[in-house]
This record gives sequence, C-alpha cells and structure tokens, in this order.
Amino acid sequence: MSSEGTATVSFDSSVFDLDTVKKSAYKFSDLVSFDIRTSKNEIVCELTLLDKKTTDSLENIVKKLKNEILDQDLRKKIFDETEIVRNVILAHVFSNTGLQDG
Amino acid sequence: MAKFREQCHYSSVLDSGYKILPFSFTSLDENRYVATNVAGEYIVIERNDLYDFAQHKLDNASEIYNDLKSKHFLYDDDSNVAIDLLALKQRTKLRRLSDFTGLHMFVVSLRCEHSCPYCQVSRANNDAMKAKFDMTQDVADKALAMTFRSPSPAIKVEFQGGESLLNFDIIKYIVQKAKQINETEQRDLQFVIATNLALVEEDILEFCKEHNILISTSLDGPKELHNKNRPRPGNNSYEKTIEGIEKCREILGPERVSALMTTTKESISQPIEIIDEYIAQKFNGIFLRPLSPYGFAIKTKFFRAYGFQEWLDFYFEGLEYIIELNKNGFFFIEQYAATILSKMLTPYATGYVDLMSPAGIGIGAVIYNYDGDVYASDEGRMLAEMDDKSFRLGNVKENTYEEIFTSETLLDAIEESYTGSVPMCSECAFEVYCGSDPVYHHATQKDFVGHKPSSEFCGRNMSIFKRLIDMMEADAQVKEVFYSWVRM
Repeated sequence: MSSEGTATVSFDSSVFDLDTVKKSAYKFSDLVSFDIRTSKNEIVCELTLLDKKTTDSLENIVKKLKNEILDQDLRKKIFDETEIVRNVILAHVFSNTGLQDG
Repeated sequence: MAKFREQCHYSSVLDSGYKILPFSFTSLDENRYVATNVAGEYIVIERNDLYDFAQHKLDNASEIYNDLKSKHFLYDDDSNVAIDLLALKQRTKLRRLSDFTGLHMFVVSLRCEHSCPYCQVSRANNDAMKAKFDMTQDVADKALAMTFRSPSPAIKVEFQGGESLLNFDIIKYIVQKAKQINETEQRDLQFVIATNLALVEEDILEFCKEHNILISTSLDGPKELHNKNRPRPGNNSYEKTIEGIEKCREILGPERVSALMTTTKESISQPIEIIDEYIAQKFNGIFLRPLSPYGFAIKTKFFRAYGFQEWLDFYFEGLEYIIELNKNGFFFIEQYAATILSKMLTPYATGYVDLMSPAGIGIGAVIYNYDGDVYASDEGRMLAEMDDKSFRLGNVKENTYEEIFTSETLLDAIEESYTGSVPMCSECAFEVYCGSDPVYHHATQKDFVGHKPSSEFCGRNMSIFKRLIDMMEADAQVKEVFYSWVRM
C-alpha cells in the first residue's frame, strides 16, 4: 500500500520478531522515517520519504527493506546458534593475559 | 597401527553434519555477500549458498563447503581444531590493545611560514607568536615523563606543528632527554619529525642522522598544484620541499623520508598527475587521503569543496592506475588500501588510529600540545582550535597520568563508539577491518557513535572495502599485487 511519499508494509510476527524489523529499518533511516506498530499478528511499518528528490524510489526502498529483514533474521539465527562457540573463542583469546580475576 | 584410518571413519565424519562458527555478512552486490569471521578472514558467497549454509543444508562435497571449512566458518568432526585457531588469530589481532599508547605526538610550535588554506592549526611566524605558541622545556619534561608512563614496549615520538623546525631547539632537547630516560627504560624508541622541509639545513639533518630520526613531509602533487595548495612567501613551497627531500636522502638515506598528500578541490581532478609526481620523486607509495573536517578546513569551506562521492571517484581512479603500474612490473603502493588489505589478508592488526575499534584515541596515540594540553588525538586538538575541547584530556602541568588516561572524556568516547555494540557496525561484515572514529563523528554529527546510514566515514570505507574485495575476486593478478603490498 502506498501513496506519494509514503508506503505501508506489514510482516507476520510469527515469522519475524520486532527487533529484526527495527534493526532493518535503521539501515534505511537516512532515506525514510519509520512508524512501526504491532497489530494482532502483524508488525506494520509506515515509511515516509525524508526527501522526495531522493534518487531511490520508495518502491525500491521497500524491496530492499524486505531483503534486509531476511538478512537480519538470518543474522539472529547465526548469532543465537554460535553464542557458546563465540564465548569459548573469547575465553581462549583472553586466557593467560593476567586480566582474569582470581 | 595402520597408517590410514578406515574409509568408514571419513564417511561417519561427513554424515554427522557441521557446526557453524561465528561470522558476520554484508551484501557485496545483488547476488553475493561478503562473510567475515572473528579473525577477519573473508569469503565471498552466493546468496543461495549463504542461506543453505545457515540452514545446515550445504553439501559437504561442494567447493563452497571446503572453502568455508578451510577459512574457519564451519567445523565438523574432522576439523574441531578450528576454535583454537580462530582464538589464536583473534588474540593476535587484539594484541596491540594490551601494549597501550605507542604513538606520542609533541606539538612543538604552532608557528608556520606557510599559510595553507586547508591547514588545521597554524599561526603566523613572528616573535609575539613564538612566545605564545612554542613548547617550553617545562612542558616538554612533563610530557616526556607521561610518555614513559605508557607500558608500550615501542614508543614513537612524533614532532608536529605548525612547522616543527621553527622550534628545533626543543626537538633537540626532547630527543636527548628521551634517549637519556630510555637508558633505563629500554623501550624500542623512535623519532619522527613532521615538517614542510622549507627550513631544513644540513646541521638539522646531521642531528637527525646521529639520532636516527625519520622525516615525514607534505607533497600535494605537481609544482603548480602543490604551490597553489601550500602558499608561502616566494611561492616556492614545491621547490623547497623537493630540495629538502633530496637533502634528507643524501644525508639520512633514501628510506628515511616519507611524504603525505592532502586532497583539495584543486587535486580532485588530478589523481594520475599526483601519483606520477610521487613516482618522479622516487617514492614507492602514496597515501591518497581526503581532507579532514576539522579546523580551518571547515572555516574556509575547504571540507565541503568536494563531496565524498567525488573523493571516491578520485581515489578509485588513482587506485586503478597504481594497480596497472604494479601489473606492469612497477612496484608502488597505495597506503590506505595496503592498511586495509593487511587486515584482510594477514592475522595482524595495524596501528592506523582511524581504523581501530576500540577507538585508537588515547590508547593508540596521544598528543601533547605546545601549552601542555593533552588531546586524545591529533584531530581532537584541531577541534580544540575551533573552541571545541571535547577531546581535551587534561594538561601535563596539572594532571597525573592516571587522571588523563582514565578520564571520563576518554573512556566515554571509547566505550560509546565501540563498533562491537554500535547499531549497524556490530553486525557488519567489515567491522573487523573498520574503526569507530568518535572524533570524526563528533565533528560531523555531534555524536561519538554517529548515524551510520548517513555517515560519510561509513560510506567511504564500505565502498573501499567492497571494491578491494571485488577487485580480488575478479582478477587473480590484482590479488597477487595486493599480497605483495602486505608482505612488505
């Protein structure tokens, strides 16, 4: 749904979480402002162009936003899945540095 | 014991699946992504492969599986040493942090006989200014005492200005005193004089030779461009600089003098001519760097004289030209690219303050101003010249080492801007190569962190990271050239 300078796009909240949508929105915050709401099973984003003369069309920004949400969702999955390993690596990195207590 | 394991061992390993190691990814173009692991190793991966990889659907006989495995993005039962190796590499990258401040800059005078319109700090060269803007022995003593409080095993003392040679007496004093202190400290002690070379004399260079001092000068390009960028009485800055470089090489040796250029509006259309000038002057590299948004550069509107996209066009035209020179057998480095490539292609960190996170301000480099004020970086003191003292950490005459290096001014800027916890940076594949630069973001956006989607620092560096990787992927010969730059 869109009108001149604004567009609304919604995401299924059983598929994507709110943080994922907010992180994705931030990436485009130099081009559009966001009004983000949750409604029943949806996360609704209303985009408004900051500068109507911007070289990127609103339609294109919405497409990029959708792809970015997929990427952010994948990043979250990888982050969660690798948390233990990440901590093990950091423990190795800082072992024998004299920085630990005790 | 059999020399080889039974074939069934390998089948069972491959059947048991793989585990994903921590990594970040960022799109390179519509179909490809750059993924980096915690040690900075990168891989370019198709979108479909990335998603299959994350969903554990990757075929273990595929080429991409082996690439990801060899670069520590995944491990299976046959390669579980990956965690130890990654930790070792990450530890190597972070090692510089525990050394603490290695670069100590002394502003020995703000006076200068040049009047460059883009200059950040300089003052007129006359007696009234000498009394007001030259470093005294008292300040030098206290700054030196602070320098040697740093635990760094390597200490580099760099003399800056204004024109530093206008107060050569204090340079001599500091060098001799530092060497005296170092007889008991036993650090790896180095000296650099940043100078326009217009005032260099044989006795100055003899002193530099005796004390193994490096010279860093400014060369903006061919004669006409250099003299336009760097006016001085007689309009002969270029002639003085070239003559000075020759004298330095003759007395100190060919490798003891280096040069830096600054890109102005006049330079932006002349990348090839500038590079050719460096080649003509027998330098083996150039640092193509943009104008900083500090000091008089802002006051005189120089900073906005060209946009960041114009600078990128200038930079890439120059870089392509330099690569072609190398392909044709002429070894020549673009130093900014070489700094980034060192992070991409080796396990070692670089000491380049702008590309450090945690930020290198204070903990990588620190600057002692002529009046004893201590700033977290050279750019921080330039901001102070515009009455913005956000990065003033204290004064050597009033504050202790502990007060200066644990001041909230320093710690807040470093903590807030740490890219590991900054929006967009924390998940960016290029975070391992990039820096936080709180001074730049404070100067341009009044915020240590900065709004990354509109940050020119982010836009400029992302473009360069992507272009360097794209070039290496597209042309194996370019990759060879880049490896030759980081093997130096």
